[in-house]
Amino acid sequence: MPEAGAGGAPLTAVIGAISFLAAIALAGFILISLAAGEWTSELKTALTIQVKGSSAQAIEEDTQEALRILNSTEGVITANAMTSEETARLLEPWLGRGNISDYLSIPAIIEVKATPALRRDLGLLRTRLAAAAPGATVDDHGAWHSRLSAAARSGQALAFAVFLLVMGAACAISVFAARAGLAANHEIVSLLHLVGATDDFIANEVQRRFFILGLRGSMAGLFAALIALGAALLITRTGATESFFLPNVNLTGGVVFWLLVVPIITCLVTAATARMTVLKTLRRQY
Amino acid sequence: MAHNGNRSTQVNCKGIEILIVGFENVAFAYEDEPETLNDVNFSLREGEFRFLTGPSGAGKTTLLKLIYLAQRPTEGRMTLFGGDVTTAPRDALPALRRRIGVVFQEFRLLDHLTAFENVALPMKVAGVNQNKYREDVRELLNWVGLGHRLEAKPPTLSGGEKQRVALARALVSKPDLILADEPTGNVDPAMGERIMKLFIELNKLGAAVIVATHDHNLVKTLGKPILKLTAGRLCEEPAGAGV
Repeated sequence: MPEAGAGGAPLTAVIGAISFLAAIALAGFILISLAAGEWTSELKTALTIQVKGSSAQAIEEDTQEALRILNSTEGVITANAMTSEETARLLEPWLGRGNISDYLSIPAIIEVKATPALRRDLGLLRTRLAAAAPGATVDDHGAWHSRLSAAARSGQALAFAVFLLVMGAACAISVFAARAGLAANHEIVSLLHLVGATDDFIANEVQRRFFILGLRGSMAGLFAALIALGAALLITRTGATESFFLPNVNLTGGVVFWLLVVPIITCLVTAATARMTVLKTLRRQY
Repeated sequence: MAHNGNRSTQVNCKGIEILIVGFENVAFAYEDEPETLNDVNFSLREGEFRFLTGPSGAGKTTLLKLIYLAQRPTEGRMTLFGGDVTTAPRDALPALRRRIGVVFQEFRLLDHLTAFENVALPMKVAGVNQNKYREDVRELLNWVGLGHRLEAKPPTLSGGEKQRVALARALVSKPDLILADEPTGNVDPAMGERIMKLFIELNKLGAAVIVATHDHNLVKTLGKPILKLTAGRLCEEPAGAGV
């Protein structure tokens, strides 16, 4: 088959664009998975004790009592009370800097790192805290954890659906290109048959051509996607945008390795689709 | 040149007479058109030579197309190398086509391949290792006077050169049956004579040959039996009967 017979440069460009989108979608899937894993693994061992009270003194007393109980509880790895400055900083996004009055009773926060076993069964700790420090409440981040997991799953599903959709588009384009290639090279196909070529021989030729075009296009698409992803991650880290809410993810070797799946799958999908299309068309038309 | 062995059901072991082509009441019509061939009967055995003549539009090319399996009869029965091909499954056709060498009137060379690659095409299609046919292809191209143009692509070749490449391609696989549609139409008389001598040599070695031509002198000079087509009907004339 002549090079132009399978679409040549235009098909390479389309496969490049498809691979770019597929790589972005797959990168989205991987980065969301990594970020969700990072967030949820932190939450699996983290607890927050919030101590409320009518006065600063009552809060301080309950905080000390809560710390005593925590430090004597099996399964608590660390328990640190945040300073009033640290607590105030947490409220700055809502109240602004320096707007917190000394008369305002700001709850104290105790950050606790616990073993997974304790994290799973907090009943006894809650009872002991309630008895000794009535103003202390245990927040196991359960609601946040479940919402975060659900959001991550949705994001993963969406990214994977986009990836599958783009691969489906690659299949559809391969079908059209293979049919167009056969139509444009009708004379060649006919001659190949007349000199004794089997359908498999012709399908192999077309498949090889599509594999090469797919490899060329998908490598270019992957390269462009890596540049775009690298640039996007760089921008989020330069402080040019408010990125505190974004996960701390990197284009590590592992992520790039997984993205290499894109050209491999693209080549195989385009080549296999072209082969099946050619065999079907030959059986119908010749 | 011709393959030997009992691959045909119609072999006379002592006389080694194999029916290469058999037409029984064959008719053919293109879709939505009147019949191009009508009630055609003839047979061609191993080592036989026929000229196929007739006026333009009489159906010569269509008859050749039926023999090289580009078309199938719409009526009647057709056999090739002893087997019925009228309703043979399409998977069975490639192996039969590899036993036929065709010189097309319009050459049908692939423009993106070199002369060498065009000639080697039937061998490549048959899955033969290039080491086994490289020398044969060079020798054939040398013989047709194109040894110096192995790497030339068809668009750079003259009509005569294309015809000679097409001839070499038809012969490279040492076919049992050679079909040629106006093989001397685009070459000078000397080359035309060489080509016809080659056909006769191959025929003596056992290959069956059918040459479609308008060249009355050629037919008279060689004195071979004639298949004469007139308005889709075929009649056979013995050697030396004229045109």
